[in-house]
Amino acid sequence: MHGRSLMLALLVPTLALADPSAQEHRTDQDTGASTWETRVHGATLRLTQILPDQARAFYINRGFSAEDVEPYATACVFMTVLRNDAAPGALGFRLADWQVRVKGALQSPPSVESWMDLWTQRGLPEPARIAFRWAQFPVEQEYELGEWNQGMLATGLPPGAAFDLVARWQVEDKTYEGVLTDVHCPAH
Amino acid sequence: MCIARLIKLCSLVFFLALALPAQAEDLPPLTHALTPISKPFAAPALKLPDLDGKLHDLADLKGKVVLINFWATWCPPCRREMPSLERLRQRLGDQGLAVVAVDVGEDADTVFSFTGQLEPAPAFPLLLDRDSKAMQAWKVKGLPTTFVVDPQGRVAYRAVGGREFDHDALVQQLRSLLPMK
Repeated sequence: MHGRSLMLALLVPTLALADPSAQEHRTDQDTGASTWETRVHGATLRLTQILPDQARAFYINRGFSAEDVEPYATACVFMTVLRNDAAPGALGFRLADWQVRVKGALQSPPSVESWMDLWTQRGLPEPARIAFRWAQFPVEQEYELGEWNQGMLATGLPPGAAFDLVARWQVEDKTYEGVLTDVHCPAH
Repeated sequence: MCIARLIKLCSLVFFLALALPAQAEDLPPLTHALTPISKPFAAPALKLPDLDGKLHDLADLKGKVVLINFWATWCPPCRREMPSLERLRQRLGDQGLAVVAVDVGEDADTVFSFTGQLEPAPAFPLLLDRDSKAMQAWKVKGLPTTFVVDPQGRVAYRAVGGREFDHDALVQQLRSLLPMK
């Protein structure tokens, strides 16, 4: 754990956690993909399942081979949204500070950099690597009021696994958490 | 499964191959304002080819207000906001606003096949940042990201995430910068 993550881990117990009653869960009738969303500390945090076939179709259309895309498509991928709706200032985050909690144990999702290293090792063409890099949820960002992004986030968990997402961000030097509980990885 | 639902599902799978998966009825709202830059700074250089290979240089637009939109065809909010960029150009183009869109990492055929379906179709330059170097020079961290450069060549506003660019509140912000208000 690097210094900043350690500092966050020490700070977090002093902060208010997300109110679980504010969490919503819905399922798209056509695709079967589920969405979990919470509005907390003036921000919206949302995860929507990206089914393995959806990830395969998207990346094969951008230069990945069927073999290359498989480790990512089956790595429990979510469309992720974070939006500053009404935070008391600019909302900044680093994806490296986000964790998933499985059966009480916290772990970090694989980094975007680790995926990029894999694509380089496998010799993927540059357009495919660029599309992958920028289709991911930003590795760091700062949102003023009304600003937001959506992008892919792979948790690295097995298909069907249940977990909590612990997202962390800073507003005016104070650390906040948004927690989505009992989120389920898409099945194969 | 009824035929209508099957057709809808097939259409959705086809769309997902083209764009990042996102359920159309469940997308975050587009924002109606730009973020002012507290300390405007000199705009980085931007010199890129358009779909026909013609070079465009931001330096040639000095004296105008220039809205620069970094985007990609696979990015859902980018796709949603693109028609509003052309509507904005139609509202303010003759008052000193120039609109430029910079596609990241894709080729001319891919961009053309998407923009050809839009109504209204973009009449502003669509530039290609094939190696994403321009995006990195502008310190873009996620798509879409938009910058507004004032007539003195300084970045005065930014927008991270999708916008409704022809919303009255946003148009009002841009009017305050225009040389011909």
